[in-house]
Amino acid sequence: METFAQSLVSGVLTGALYAMIGIGLTVVFGVMRIINLAHGEMVMLGMFGAFWGQKLWKLDPFVSLLVWTPLMFVAGVLLYRLLLRKIIPGGELNTLLYTAGLSLLVANLALLVWTGDYRTISLSYGVTVRPFGIAIAVPLAIAFVLAILITVTLGLFLSRTNLGRAIRATSQNPEASVLMGIDVERVAMVTFGLGTALAGAAGVLLAPSLYLYPTVGELLIVKCFVIVVLGGLGSVPGAIAGGILLGVVESLGAVYVSGAYKDGIGFVLFLAVLLYRPSGLFGAGR
Amino acid sequence: MKRRHLPALLGVAVLIAIPLSIRNSFFLHVCILILMWTVLGAAWNVLGGFAGQVSFGHAALFAVGAYTTIILYLKGGLAPWWGIPLGGLAAALVSVPIGLLCFRLRGPYFALATLAVAEIVKLVALNWESVTAGSVGYLITTLPSVRLFGLSVNWEAKTPFYAAAVALAVVALLTTGWLRNSRLGAYLVAIRENEDAAEAVGIDTVRAKVVTLALSAFLAGMGGGFYAFYFRYVDPDAVAGIGLSMEMVFIAVVGGLGTVGGPLIGAVFLTAVAELVRDRFQMGHLIFYGLFMMLVIRFMPEGIWGRVRRLTAGATAGA
Repeated sequence: METFAQSLVSGVLTGALYAMIGIGLTVVFGVMRIINLAHGEMVMLGMFGAFWGQKLWKLDPFVSLLVWTPLMFVAGVLLYRLLLRKIIPGGELNTLLYTAGLSLLVANLALLVWTGDYRTISLSYGVTVRPFGIAIAVPLAIAFVLAILITVTLGLFLSRTNLGRAIRATSQNPEASVLMGIDVERVAMVTFGLGTALAGAAGVLLAPSLYLYPTVGELLIVKCFVIVVLGGLGSVPGAIAGGILLGVVESLGAVYVSGAYKDGIGFVLFLAVLLYRPSGLFGAGR
Repeated sequence: MKRRHLPALLGVAVLIAIPLSIRNSFFLHVCILILMWTVLGAAWNVLGGFAGQVSFGHAALFAVGAYTTIILYLKGGLAPWWGIPLGGLAAALVSVPIGLLCFRLRGPYFALATLAVAEIVKLVALNWESVTAGSVGYLITTLPSVRLFGLSVNWEAKTPFYAAAVALAVVALLTTGWLRNSRLGAYLVAIRENEDAAEAVGIDTVRAKVVTLALSAFLAGMGGGFYAFYFRYVDPDAVAGIGLSMEMVFIAVVGGLGTVGGPLIGAVFLTAVAELVRDRFQMGHLIFYGLFMMLVIRFMPEGIWGRVRRLTAGATAGA
């Protein structure tokens, strides 16, 4: 029973961070109908941002969130303006292939600059506490709380502000949004910046809890697909549920099913959902 | 008609002339790589270029071919020229259930599903140790002694592998050429351009796609079988990684989607890039793969060969 509670808790903690990565991918898909295969590399950049911030400027990784999130937002906006905007009219498969190229380019440039070494971030408060006999790593718990804060802020932004409403409207029906006077081009730009910023922020939060290496994005993007498909592509609540579900399934799977096939459970779940509930487990997506 | 066959004949002449005139074994090695990648690019192109179904999981089919061939050889003593086609056949068989499952999805969803399938296949290869030897992999230490036309084949030379690679590449390109002019090819283009319309005019789209995937898998599986014998080593990371799937995509895209000659051009281009930059930085060729991919999609989405063909067609029409 204790093992169960333990894996449930660590699953939920990791799952919240997965969810944050998934939200970034899913809002971009919702507005632009593109699957950004380079999303994992954005997370990787966030992780390395946290690492170098600590290494070079003694900046606490969680404080460096304030630096990297806006920077990643700007990077996303520029990426959209300078590169992606010209590609999107060519169709979704062109965009898919283009972002695949981008993913390879960024990951391997990082490999060239930072080498393939595995790095870790050590924190003075990087200890494990045991409330009610359940081991919780402090950095992961802080990341969890911050992830929830960011997600709630994002939710408020999407539901309460004009720009947020415009994003949701575009996501539901781009043509009607244009007719209602929404500048869809600007919405797409902001959304892409937002998606990139979320990925970068999730990377910063994950950095103290994971190994850092340039090709980590490959692993994360695959998890990310599982999450957004579980929740329904384009749905933010779906991505949250999908992220937590995947975190829990992985964590329970590692304990109760053979550790070797642990990663396979996620994929099988993924295929099953794609085939039988392509709109997502919760039917919230479209 | 005659003029159309001229480039093909010229190509065959060049392919025969290469090992006869050049004795540099590194150069021959590069040629073998180019031909192997041509086969793989063509395999991907059949599905991705003609039918517009982007697969990110072709490494799975390559892996099935590679494992089948190497296991048949090591455990059953089956010679390469039987093992490689059987590897292709095994990949084609495996592809049918994969196709029936994944083709229920369209566009990007299909791409994601193939990615998941490939990851599952890789996990199976890693963990089904009684069959695949797990992460240790299989190693071929000796190849069979064979006499051909009274001469014993020297496996240490590159020439026999070169001949095999030429044969496979010719098969792959002929298959693509046949497909382009066949009824199935026309179905596939219809599916690529508008799947609903294709269905509305009575095309059994799922069947057409499954058959095409099997064809594509056959080519990819034979490529895998060839890889197993040429590199003499098969393990899950080498033959089932996501990077391999991506390289197949890149070759087809850079060469020219939905063209016959495209994969050859793409393979020449990317192998050349890989070999040129390999000394300078270890993983550097992947940077260029990514970069070229982006440039091609941005500036000539029809690929190098597609652009060349369009330009020459324009010139002939103008003349």
